[in-house]
Amino acid sequence: MRVSFWLNLSLLNGILLGSWACQQGSDKLPFLGAKKPVQRTVNGKQVTDTIFHAIPAFSFVDQYGDTVTDKTVADKIYVADFFFTTCPTICPKMKTQMKRVYERFKGNEAVMILSHTIDPAHDSVAVLKEFAGNLGVTGKQWLFLTGPREKIYEIGQDSYMVTAAEDKSAPGGVVHSGAFILIDKDKHVRGIYDGTTEKGVNQLMSDMDKLLAEKKG
Amino acid sequence: MKLTLYCGIGLLSATLLLMSNCQSQEEIKRQKYITEGMLVYQNTCANCHQPDGKGLEALYPPLVNSDYLAKKDSVIHLIRYGLQGPIQVNGKRYNRVMPPNPQLSDLEIAELMTFMYDRWGNDPALVDVAHVKEVLKKE
Repeated sequence: MRVSFWLNLSLLNGILLGSWACQQGSDKLPFLGAKKPVQRTVNGKQVTDTIFHAIPAFSFVDQYGDTVTDKTVADKIYVADFFFTTCPTICPKMKTQMKRVYERFKGNEAVMILSHTIDPAHDSVAVLKEFAGNLGVTGKQWLFLTGPREKIYEIGQDSYMVTAAEDKSAPGGVVHSGAFILIDKDKHVRGIYDGTTEKGVNQLMSDMDKLLAEKKG
Repeated sequence: MKLTLYCGIGLLSATLLLMSNCQSQEEIKRQKYITEGMLVYQNTCANCHQPDGKGLEALYPPLVNSDYLAKKDSVIHLIRYGLQGPIQVNGKRYNRVMPPNPQLSDLEIAELMTFMYDRWGNDPALVDVAHVKEVLKKE
């Protein structure tokens, strides 16, 4: 399968800029995505709650052939990204950088990494297992996920807010970003980073420390 | 007599100057190849083989002190046409597809080769375009 690769930097930049602006003057990481105000009545008074954008239930299969769902990451923070094993462009950069995250948080049970393949036709469980092994990844902290193509694209686009979709203008091509997405224990998106650069990933790791220190609720 | 001596010295220094000029012309060409080759490397190869040429784990083999570099013509060939199937590099097995690079010209491959072998192959010789062209004739 030939997949051409487009780094959608403008979108990523927009989000990065947005998240940076939100962070000014606050030590708490921002909540990214659409917010929905919800009216409810407490003791006869109208109050407005804000419902933050959250990752919905999902179900994929990891490099060991085990099913991975939203329950797998319950009460953990995690980093998500989208890639494919035969990609010679930005994916190796992303994997080089994600390896740094993996090494840094290795053994921390509150942290996981979910790498979704956007080429499930090629990237079977066996292919992902070999890839993970060759990258020096063992154990269940960094999972390489495959599943129905449309489900992967849907969660990428709608939930993780990255472009991982077929591009009609490039036949057989894919629009895809090099983003790393940071998700908190309540499945809220708390940061989107350029996973192709050392600088972007340094920021991610320092934000992960912040998020781990954050009190629930 | 004195005049002859002066003339002699003049001629000698002129010859020396010319010779050193010739040498530096060659060296200038080689340096140019290395600089251009470095750019080609950064744009085309560094994603997988890493900016420092050390490769990535068991996924992408290293170029630094790689015994695979001994097969110079094979390296020229695989840069243009890619490579499939397992290979051995410094006794380790690698089995990932090396994509072809039809977009690289013969000159760019010569520059890239000159850069790689100078920096990591302990081989400072310039890789000639004519030689690259010859090797690439065989698909």
